[in-house]
Amino acid sequence: MSIFRLGDQRPPEPQRIDDDVVMRFEHVYEVDPEKMRTFPQQDMPAWDTHRIVAARWDHLDWMHDHFADAVLPAGLESETMPTEEEQ
Amino acid sequence: MSVAIKSAIDDGVIEELRAIMGDDDRVLPNISARVNRTRVPAPFPVHRWAEYMPDVAVLPRTAEEVSEVVKLANRMRIPVVPRAGGTGLSDGAVPLRGGICVDVKLMNAIGEIDLVDRTVTVGPGINMLKLNEALRPHGVFYPDDPASYPCSLVGGRIGTGGWSLLGARFGHTRDLVVSMQVVLPTGEIAQIGDGGGRKLRKSSTGLTLKQLFTGHQGTLGITTEATLELFPRPEVEFSAFFAFDDYMKAHRTTGALTRSGLATLAGVVLFDEWKLRYLRRDDEAYIPQPESVRAVVAVALYGTRAEVEPASGRVMEIGRADGGRYLGDEISQGDWASRHDRYATPLHGRSLDGQAVPMSWHCEDAALNYSVLPQVREEWHAIVARYRERYGVFDDWGMFAYTNAAHKPWGDYLVEIDVGIWEQRLDDETWAAWVRCKREIAEVSLSHGGSITACHGATRAGDAELVPTEMGSAWPVVLAIKRALDPNNIMNPGKQCLDEAYR
Repeated sequence: MSIFRLGDQRPPEPQRIDDDVVMRFEHVYEVDPEKMRTFPQQDMPAWDTHRIVAARWDHLDWMHDHFADAVLPAGLESETMPTEEEQ
Repeated sequence: MSVAIKSAIDDGVIEELRAIMGDDDRVLPNISARVNRTRVPAPFPVHRWAEYMPDVAVLPRTAEEVSEVVKLANRMRIPVVPRAGGTGLSDGAVPLRGGICVDVKLMNAIGEIDLVDRTVTVGPGINMLKLNEALRPHGVFYPDDPASYPCSLVGGRIGTGGWSLLGARFGHTRDLVVSMQVVLPTGEIAQIGDGGGRKLRKSSTGLTLKQLFTGHQGTLGITTEATLELFPRPEVEFSAFFAFDDYMKAHRTTGALTRSGLATLAGVVLFDEWKLRYLRRDDEAYIPQPESVRAVVAVALYGTRAEVEPASGRVMEIGRADGGRYLGDEISQGDWASRHDRYATPLHGRSLDGQAVPMSWHCEDAALNYSVLPQVREEWHAIVARYRERYGVFDDWGMFAYTNAAHKPWGDYLVEIDVGIWEQRLDDETWAAWVRCKREIAEVSLSHGGSITACHGATRAGDAELVPTEMGSAWPVVLAIKRALDPNNIMNPGKQCLDEAYR
């Protein structure tokens, strides 16, 4: 039995990131399905993946809010990742 | 000497408990209530679950009810195990000899909020997150911030003597409790603080008892009320994460940050190479990072904007001075926020053939000086690698080192190695192997002048048997105190080798 409640919400084919990880949506990573043979990966409709990711960000914002009125950013991008021009 | 033995509980005891509580629904001898009060989140010998169940759980609402339950237990020589959130990582709330589980979750009232003398008085069953939601309209907060912030309770934090992520700035649990009410092992109710004052932070009258009743792991009594410190709610938070291509650069930068003299510095965290390998494999924030990211230093400031803004500039200078590269605002803010709530993280590890398998999280902690961190990390990882290779049910998830001393972040660290354990595969052989592995890790800590635990407590097999060694010449004092306060060894018996007090 499929758990998909919205057939047209089937996620896109994965793009390989490295030996351990694939990606179906930008910045949303999954363990390589080849490494989930002992405990097979469950099917996830796209909407559920997006819901979980959004909830995670909501949760982190909520955590920040517990400890201070505002978050002060350094205002800087990552110095470890290649820039768009370098990519 | 007569001491508590496993379960003297019969129908007569259950009836006495019901008479004390005056409410049958708060006396729970049923199997589900007992099963659910057996283990804590730390990996557990699930194949031997029944050995660790309490015989009955009670849910008191008042100190007087707790007192009467303990008096009954003391008279009948029945073990008593206090339990708050049950979120500890070292089995403090796990019964070793059955008995009565005193679950304090219903004692969760927020009493007086004193904005003049800056204290709040609460029951032990209140959670810090819920407490801070109530405090927020008053512009104050209670800064005890473990990785279990959303789910652990004040009573458990006191019993464990817990560590706080923000401790370098605000202090840890033992620094944040001003005074408390404790039911002693013989059932008397005592007010414990500095001198006789409920809201005094410093007194030289009598003996200093507060520390004694913080971190005893339920072996000296049950906290039934606590008066806690209130701080002004911070206006701003600043967090920054720096990546390094070499662990020793990160180690030096950690030291430089802790010696910076910045008064708003709340904590510094050092991630080692094994931690980065684990994160690059299994954490969305680090998966895309290049191989040159081999160690990370995280730092956070809390306070007024007038203090934190200039201090943040100094942090950026120190963080980059020895080759550190800023990981960007998104990771710095998101990862720091996640540190308040590590229990929400779903866990999986890798079997020897690289397959992803469900694993529970064991966090083995120690208190260690700054100077020995590089060497201890080598020795700890070598131990875990040996056991992983031989048994195939363990996985090395790397190490963190966190600033450990309240208000003095430079000298010593809460150091942890996170080990994934495939609980479903545990049997007597693999569990015994895990206990040996833990013991070897703890022995390394002692050999480097450290303590076998900075935060979780030495109440698990593998740690507990080393408590007399670590305490050394103070061990007879510990035994004398335990025997004097708990003449029948009813309070959480079997923990930390304290049974030696009765031989």
